[in-house]
Amino acid sequence: MTHLPDSRLSPAAARIALTASAAAAAGLLLFPLATLGRGFDADPVLLHLSGTVINLSANPDAPLPPTGTVLALGWAALALAVASVVGALRRAPWVWLTGLLTAMLGIAAVVTLGLGLNEQTARIAADTTLRPGFKRQLRSFYESGGMNLALFLTVLGGLMTAGAGLSRFPAWWERFNRLRGLLVPAVAISLAVLVGAVVVLVVQPAVNASGTPLTPWTGWLAKSDLVYFVYSTLFAPVTALNPLLESLKLATPLIFTGLSVAFAFRTGLFNIGAPGQLTMGAILAMLVGVYGPASLGWGLLPLSVLAAALGGALWGAIPGVLKARFGSSEVINTIMLNYVASAIFIFLIGSNTFTFLGREYSLPFKAEGFEPASQELQEGARLPTLLNLFNVGAQGTTALTVAPLAALLVYAAARLALRRTPRGGWLALGAALLAAVLTWRVGIPVTVIGSQLNASFLIALACVGLFGVLMWRTATGYALRAVGLSPRAAEYGGISVARGTILAMTLAGMFAGLAGTHYVNGGALDEYRLKANMPVSVGFDGIAVALMGQNTPAGVMAASLLFGTIDTGSVGVQRLENISRDIVVVLKALIVLFIAAGGFLSRRVTDPPPPQLAGATGGGGNAVPAVVGLTPSVAAQERATPNPNVTVASETNKEVTQGES
Amino acid sequence: MESLFAQLLTTAFLATFIRSVVPLLLTGLGGLFSERSGVVNIALDGLIIFGALAGAVTTLALEPSLGALAPWLGWLAGAVVGGLIAWVHAVVSIKYRADQVISGTAINLLAAGVPAVILTALYGSSTESPKVQNALPLWGFGELRFSPPVFFALLAVLVTWYVLYRTPYGLRLRATGEHPGAAASMGVNVRRMRYSGVILSGILAGTAGVFLSIGNLDSYVRNISAGLGFISLAALIFGQWKPLGVLGATVLFGFLQALSITLGGTNLLPPTLVGALPYLITIVALAFTGRSAAPKALGKPLDG
Repeated sequence: MTHLPDSRLSPAAARIALTASAAAAAGLLLFPLATLGRGFDADPVLLHLSGTVINLSANPDAPLPPTGTVLALGWAALALAVASVVGALRRAPWVWLTGLLTAMLGIAAVVTLGLGLNEQTARIAADTTLRPGFKRQLRSFYESGGMNLALFLTVLGGLMTAGAGLSRFPAWWERFNRLRGLLVPAVAISLAVLVGAVVVLVVQPAVNASGTPLTPWTGWLAKSDLVYFVYSTLFAPVTALNPLLESLKLATPLIFTGLSVAFAFRTGLFNIGAPGQLTMGAILAMLVGVYGPASLGWGLLPLSVLAAALGGALWGAIPGVLKARFGSSEVINTIMLNYVASAIFIFLIGSNTFTFLGREYSLPFKAEGFEPASQELQEGARLPTLLNLFNVGAQGTTALTVAPLAALLVYAAARLALRRTPRGGWLALGAALLAAVLTWRVGIPVTVIGSQLNASFLIALACVGLFGVLMWRTATGYALRAVGLSPRAAEYGGISVARGTILAMTLAGMFAGLAGTHYVNGGALDEYRLKANMPVSVGFDGIAVALMGQNTPAGVMAASLLFGTIDTGSVGVQRLENISRDIVVVLKALIVLFIAAGGFLSRRVTDPPPPQLAGATGGGGNAVPAVVGLTPSVAAQERATPNPNVTVASETNKEVTQGES
Repeated sequence: MESLFAQLLTTAFLATFIRSVVPLLLTGLGGLFSERSGVVNIALDGLIIFGALAGAVTTLALEPSLGALAPWLGWLAGAVVGGLIAWVHAVVSIKYRADQVISGTAINLLAAGVPAVILTALYGSSTESPKVQNALPLWGFGELRFSPPVFFALLAVLVTWYVLYRTPYGLRLRATGEHPGAAASMGVNVRRMRYSGVILSGILAGTAGVFLSIGNLDSYVRNISAGLGFISLAALIFGQWKPLGVLGATVLFGFLQALSITLGGTNLLPPTLVGALPYLITIVALAFTGRSAAPKALGKPLDG
């Protein structure tokens, strides 16, 4: 209770501040500050803090933007970072200020740099003497410029220093403490990024198109630039509309399969069967969409979507029933059913004939052509693309309505304003709907090439909502979570574990099955058919998504968007000769591995004992130092239902169900 | 019908049959060591891929200087890399007490990405390696000529049986999987037993991969395992976690696989559906036997 007299930083916070500010300072000295331009083969023009410009591009005479201000800002940031290091060593209370200023100087440098590069682009655009092809090349040369590793580390290190310094204040400590759940995924991502960087450094030699040989120093700068290039390219899709739409498109199936895995996880079950459930959902959606009665018109669409849900649900229910009735492991059964589903899939659309005991039978499903694919869906069973759905422009022009954005803003504002009012949530929802209706005709004109991002994204959003409401707002969800946390206690409390197991697997299957609508009804593979190249591996990616999202619907959503982004960005890294786009698959796998290992963090850091307890035992002073005695808000604790330990839960789960049968 | 039997009684079918059984058998025995020590290993499929890749890459790298000796070192490399990757699974699931299924899944996901990254960096193609000039030699006569891992696999069954039931190591391994607490109280180092079991599984699965890439074929191709690791896992369960049971199960599953390969040219049964039979059989077998035969402590990290 007596933390106020000591205004110094806690040792842990000081250590974090020290590491972060030292990284910022070292980064400024050791890595390139900025990229002043970049050719098509990722050949850069690099700027170092010392003021040297290293031109490795195939474009030796390109005029470069002025660098004086950027360098000055860089030196100032270095001075502040060093001050932070000193402050952190002395555990001084003002470290947050120098940290914040370091970050702000870094941001200022980035902005200055961007303005300089924009000037060059504008100059190129105005220059009429250039050939169009060369013009485009030069524009992309400057547009690929921007900050580099040193400035990135400055901003990141500065912000982290500021955060560590601010944790001295109880209000900020409380705020950070609520984000503790993000610690393991964040550390896992950072470690994966580090390992990925090492891979890049090993497999890719420095890019040098200039012809002048590299010295050890310029070679080092060029190598470190490679790392920055790869990661900035992976995350680049968020900066432009078309790649952003592509990212959302790739994220859609991940949301479905991620929800599927997470839902089962919450009940203590491990659903590795999302690929099979997705396949069965897609098959049923195709059957209804192609062979359903044409007289239904648009009525066919909901039927087809329901069929997808049903197919997945059935395929998920099988392991659920087997587990509840016979106690056989859902892990093994879902894996086996994946292969069975894939055999059915290939059997149906691989060929139009098959022979059984010497007699030939025919199947109607495969369409003409070399590639195995089903017939095309009827018009009435197709999901519209979101571009069509949200396009309010006049004939021939594209203008996206601002309604979803307006609704979101109004909802957030109303929620904030009405947070103490009973039923505030419903009022906010109503206000949001009203805002959407009112702003529907208001559109922002955009230039966009077509995108197959389709209405299944909206279905995915609905599923996110359904997951949240079902799991945390209904008695059924309470029962399912109880089964996941402690099957025996649940059984004792009158909850049927067998019923919970079957229900959870069925619903998990349903979520995965609905991903089939994205590929079949939504035409995500460019045709409205069931195609053999449907990437069922998104079912396995769902495991990564669920783990990274901590098995919460919002987390699954965020993780899916992240993975969709880097999947889209991975096309760009192939500009480097030796880098395969599959490096993102490796990154995802590493994230799963590191999250499984708890980010190699001590339990005391990830899941500290409550402060009262820590005080009683005299321990725990490391993780919760400055504000021992401050009770975290009860609401926050309730929201953060712990994740069940899947293996242990499923073991006891089995015993309980067997005892029953 | 007669045509089928005529087809099945040829030496060509026998050769296909044996070639289908061997990788399953090796991987299944590997899984046996890991699961009998109490560590779930669904990473087998990934381990096969890593072994196959390491075997092919090492052979390609050493061929110019070592010639016919290179594939043998390739085999060694495949086994070592399989063991190393399995060691990662062991560290994460034993030392860091991670959920063993998640850790295994992570290894499988790694196996889906790493080969493409390595192949692109070395050979500029993300799907396959160049062909090796010196694959493992073929021993035997007539159509029944097999590469050395085939004979190694048959030997491995006997050795596994002997080690598991007739040596102190085997007794300790089984005790670790059944009741780690009791084993620990008798002075058995449970963690070390589990590490050894998991690493052995990697070595054997890696050997299976080597058989696929430079024994059966002469290059690494994308998705070379084609789910063999999961059939082996099924065989391990169907064989009730016993060496001879695994032999019987892999012979059955290998037969079905050879059948689906041979049936591609006949008009008896759709080969895709025959290919799915091992999985269906496993589901049914699992429902009837439950997990009664499984090591009792399978999947549970050791406390303390």
